[in-house]
Amino acid sequence: MTAQVETQTPNIPNFGEALKTKTPNQEAFERLARNKASVFGLVVIILFMLMAIFARVLAPHDPLEITSGQKFLPPAWVAQTAGGKASNPDYLLGTDTLGRDALSRVLFGARVSMVVGFIPTFIIVLIGTVVGMMAGYLGGTWDNLLMRLTDVIYAFPDLLFFIIIMVSLRDSWIGQFMNGLFLLFASLAIVNWVGIARLVRGQVLSLKQKEFIEAARAIGVKTPRIMTHHLLPNTLGVIIVYVAFRIPGLIITEAILGYLGLGLRPPADSSATFITSWGGLLLEGQSAINAQPWLLLAPAICIALVVLAFTFLGDGLRDALDPRMRGSQ
Amino acid sequence: MITYIIRRLLWLIPVILVVGAVTFILMHNTPGGPWDTDAERRQVDESTRKSLEAFYGLDKPLWRQFVAYMIGDFNNKGKFICGLPCGNFGPSYRQRGVPVQSILFRPPDGDDGNPKPWYYSRFGYSLRLGLMALVIAIVVGIPVGTIAALKQNTWVDYLSLLVATAGISVPNFVIAIFLIIIFASGLKWVSVVPRTWDTLSVWVLPATVLGFGTLAFTARLMRTSMLEVLRMDYIRTARAKGLAERVVVVIHMIKNALIPVITILGPALAGLVTGSFIIETMFAFPGMGRAYVQAISQRDYSLIMGTTLIYAVLVAVANLSVDFIYVLIDPRIRLEE
Amino acid sequence: MRKLFVVMGLLVLASMMLAACGAPAEPQTIVQTVVVAGTPEVQVVVATPEPEAKPAVLRVNTGAYPDVIDPQKSSFVNEIGHLKLIYTGLTALNEKLETVPGAAESWKFNDDATQLVFTLKKDLKYSDGSVLNAKRFEYAFMRNIDPATAGEYASITDEIVGAPEWRAADTTAADYDPEVFKAALGVKATHADGADCADYEDVACDTLTLTFSKPAPYFATIAGIWVGYPAKQENIEEGGDIWWTSSKYQIGNGPFIWKSVDPFVRSVFVPNPNYAGAAVPTYSIEYSYITDSAVAFEAYKNNEFDVVASVAEDLDAINADPDLAAQHMQWAGSCTIKIQFNLQPTWNGNPNPFADKKVREAFALAFNAEGWVKDVDGSLSSPTWTWIPPGYPGYDANSPIKYDVEAAKAALAAAGEEFNSAEKLNAMGLKMAFSDSARNRTRSEWLVANYKANLGVDIALDPVDPTTYTAIQKDPTTFPLLSRGGWCADYPDPQNWLSVYWRSDTTFASRPGYKNEEFDKLVNEADATVDPVKRLDLYKQAQQLLLADIPAAFGYNSLNHYLVKPWVKGIQTTPQDGMFPGDTAPWTISIDTSMIP
Repeated sequence: MTAQVETQTPNIPNFGEALKTKTPNQEAFERLARNKASVFGLVVIILFMLMAIFARVLAPHDPLEITSGQKFLPPAWVAQTAGGKASNPDYLLGTDTLGRDALSRVLFGARVSMVVGFIPTFIIVLIGTVVGMMAGYLGGTWDNLLMRLTDVIYAFPDLLFFIIIMVSLRDSWIGQFMNGLFLLFASLAIVNWVGIARLVRGQVLSLKQKEFIEAARAIGVKTPRIMTHHLLPNTLGVIIVYVAFRIPGLIITEAILGYLGLGLRPPADSSATFITSWGGLLLEGQSAINAQPWLLLAPAICIALVVLAFTFLGDGLRDALDPRMRGSQ
Repeated sequence: MITYIIRRLLWLIPVILVVGAVTFILMHNTPGGPWDTDAERRQVDESTRKSLEAFYGLDKPLWRQFVAYMIGDFNNKGKFICGLPCGNFGPSYRQRGVPVQSILFRPPDGDDGNPKPWYYSRFGYSLRLGLMALVIAIVVGIPVGTIAALKQNTWVDYLSLLVATAGISVPNFVIAIFLIIIFASGLKWVSVVPRTWDTLSVWVLPATVLGFGTLAFTARLMRTSMLEVLRMDYIRTARAKGLAERVVVVIHMIKNALIPVITILGPALAGLVTGSFIIETMFAFPGMGRAYVQAISQRDYSLIMGTTLIYAVLVAVANLSVDFIYVLIDPRIRLEE
Repeated sequence: MRKLFVVMGLLVLASMMLAACGAPAEPQTIVQTVVVAGTPEVQVVVATPEPEAKPAVLRVNTGAYPDVIDPQKSSFVNEIGHLKLIYTGLTALNEKLETVPGAAESWKFNDDATQLVFTLKKDLKYSDGSVLNAKRFEYAFMRNIDPATAGEYASITDEIVGAPEWRAADTTAADYDPEVFKAALGVKATHADGADCADYEDVACDTLTLTFSKPAPYFATIAGIWVGYPAKQENIEEGGDIWWTSSKYQIGNGPFIWKSVDPFVRSVFVPNPNYAGAAVPTYSIEYSYITDSAVAFEAYKNNEFDVVASVAEDLDAINADPDLAAQHMQWAGSCTIKIQFNLQPTWNGNPNPFADKKVREAFALAFNAEGWVKDVDGSLSSPTWTWIPPGYPGYDANSPIKYDVEAAKAALAAAGEEFNSAEKLNAMGLKMAFSDSARNRTRSEWLVANYKANLGVDIALDPVDPTTYTAIQKDPTTFPLLSRGGWCADYPDPQNWLSVYWRSDTTFASRPGYKNEEFDKLVNEADATVDPVKRLDLYKQAQQLLLADIPAAFGYNSLNHYLVKPWVKGIQTTPQDGMFPGDTAPWTISIDTSMIP
């Protein structure tokens, strides 16, 4: 959130004292902590992480337990479906096509999806931002070569690439590492950084002509410092929007790639750490949209909450780190 | 500027060669070949496979197949068969010899037995739907983002955030089926299955679903970008002045805020006009998006090369246009030093 | 200057949009859709005597649009579903799956079934009125064998003298001459008295003689399948590589005429007045190509389709509505699906547990077929323990295997020293590969849970993309240890189930490594036996041998299941129906237009 909210609420404790002795980092943190929406975002993300970690404790059922004759039970608050199926209070969100507990599967799904939503995003943003800044700021041949590379990778048939990676590496140690998830991250990062790179480059191209950058250059600030202290904070806004859009994209991509055998393999044993993912549940739920819509709605709501929480947190973070906001209270 | 554009267009050649080479290597190393159809079906036997490989030149060394595709090759009667430079994308494997260019660019025959106009080809259909989706994304996305930024932290802002979040968290096949249930089954404004694509009304649902992701992204980027601009000191000063000037300022701000939106719209355009597998299967839309996905899953080598290269050209040209528009918006931007 | 560019850009965009939306409204291309109380109907497609009367159109959703609609190149059910409306072969199938006259009036084998002579019906005509003589069929069979055609089913006519030789010929060789091979082929169209036929206009050319390199008493049935459909040579040559994409070249002798096609959107078929079968149909057909079952179901409920395939996920909704429940048709299908074992002696360099028949027996006995049908397929399949499905000649319910957990455990305990307990098998790391999709994933998860519960074995799942799945099955060294696969009948004859699939020299048997010399001997003998009763008996013996070997856990049969509107009357279903109920004998169907709302 932004300056306007904060200036409208002047009775925040320590108002005005923040200027005195705080380091910029402490100052930023306090600005973040005062932003209610960001705090809400942070709390939601922490809750989902706890949910992922303690899925085994929280889940009322074994997520792989198949109950014969109990398929597509409605959620507990629906007494009876039009098809005459009575709900069972044991299954809060009902059951899936094999009679497995939908709630337990959603809880376990948080594990893969939280990891897949955030870790590859981090790698993608890192590569993309560095490439985009270099291309935009250094310009000329650098720009041309890096951007032609992005043209190539944009058009790259990533589906084929994923199939090859899956077949050639899945039985090697790198394919087994983290139950196949590491290989998934690496493949996703290789093909996904181009969007953010072009976005950052566009921002930098426009920013580097602005007065404050030219001023910094004129007084002899070194290039790396200009990048990290002047250009990066001013591109954070678009990076955060990009990430917010990348997270659900990656969660669903993970599920689609799962169909190519890349990434999570369906476990046979319910003691496995990674059982299923929200993306996988979404795709399973799609065909059952008439029979049990909650199979689709539950993971979709979870993904939406994570994205919303991240957007709030990200916006707050951006404002907190904005150099122009420093000391503005 | 003109020399810059010409130089960039010349860069298309190495980009196409690299994309072609990478794709060629990838597809020939992917397990399974064009003859490996559904496992539960009868497969071609050894003799048939040999005739097919001879027909498609798969018995030749890989480098020669690549040259034959990208440039051309002599057939066994010594006649030169021109490849890509002549617009020859090769024969499809799974459609048994139908040239890829006629799969993508040849309109079907009309009732009078003559081919329909070009925009009835699969590329033509995808182009029309993609442009429509893009227009929806721009016409709705940019104003919504601008208003959300100007009315930051009001209900307008939050509503746009909620819709955008819901829209991107729910995959578009789900949005599609919900829209079909509401507008076709429920309100009966259109039929569930379009009987023909010759009426405008049936385009609305698929174009909306196709454009929704880009719309949401555009709106969010526009909002963020506008907020950045709002913080600039000169804007703050200007905003304090009278109404007439404020309008000028807002227009000026929008222009300044457009950079990231333009950046994503370039490749988005390339993506939208090459179609979407999901939209095409949900709405029985005769576009080329499904050709690309099916080509890969069926290992239809010529079709993979054809669709990928078309996409590569579109992306490269779109990105060139983006760079060009940067300069139009902000003349201080220098693309060449 | 810059402003001008922006305005120009907008103008260009606007004009393109106008072209995109405006141009299709040109009057000559428009197909008028009139929405009357939510029921759209095409008014110009079918000419009706009175403008008010509803046209008799059967609107079918067929799923995916075909890759190729060419009689000698097609192989998939959706492709054949188009061809069998447009064309009729020499023979046809009736509702009992018996081989009955199609374009041929009669046929006769010689004593050892090495020669088959067809006599065509009198005055056969194509839908455009041109002559259809035996030379057309000669061309069809020759085109199927010609290596330049290279269809998936080219090998199905290999019994014909000279066919395997031509197909194996090196077509790139300098001295390759197709005419030499053509002349040596055992396919010949003549007059009834044996005189040579002149050309395609020769009305007296009514006899087609097929000569086989070995006895082939089942060939009259094969002669009726799509590879023998008489597409016109001149149309194929004029249309070139894309001839089949245009309905104007697809002139046939089937019950319908392919009137128009809008690829991926709609095909329209109208009755063929020159059809020489049982009766000329009284209705038209519209095929649509929606692949998403949820959308198709919505369209059906909205009265936009008369026939859609039902899916397990929609069963609750169907059963909840008495109208829909009454419209739900189910009958036996043409496929048997099995859990297939890799039978090679070693697997990944280790001894293969499934080379041990007792292990296979344990896995076959432990498969809960009833549970599968109920929980996984929602009763849209039926359990079986045998290979040839019910309704097909050669069906035999007798099987040494049925679901029995105790017997399965006992069988496992009786297996070889290395494999006789779940612990030993688990230590080896059993794996089940599957072609990945949401549905196959839940199916495989169920199977793994089934074996975990009944035998205590842990099977790891190995999802791969569909084409990779086919590829690993083609290589005996990568053939999955466990997988799920099936076979659907090409034509109703036990030869198609036993000799084509399990004889040790076929690819289907050799890839997993099935070989039983006794079985090979029996099916070879049966293939050559002319007496139908004796032949069927030999196949039955062969099937019993097969079942005793347990090369796979024969699990379940497919069912055909469709939702059909009540105004579609007179459907006679067969297991071979592919696109809609009764499409094997479509002339029995009528549409009661008075019932259409």
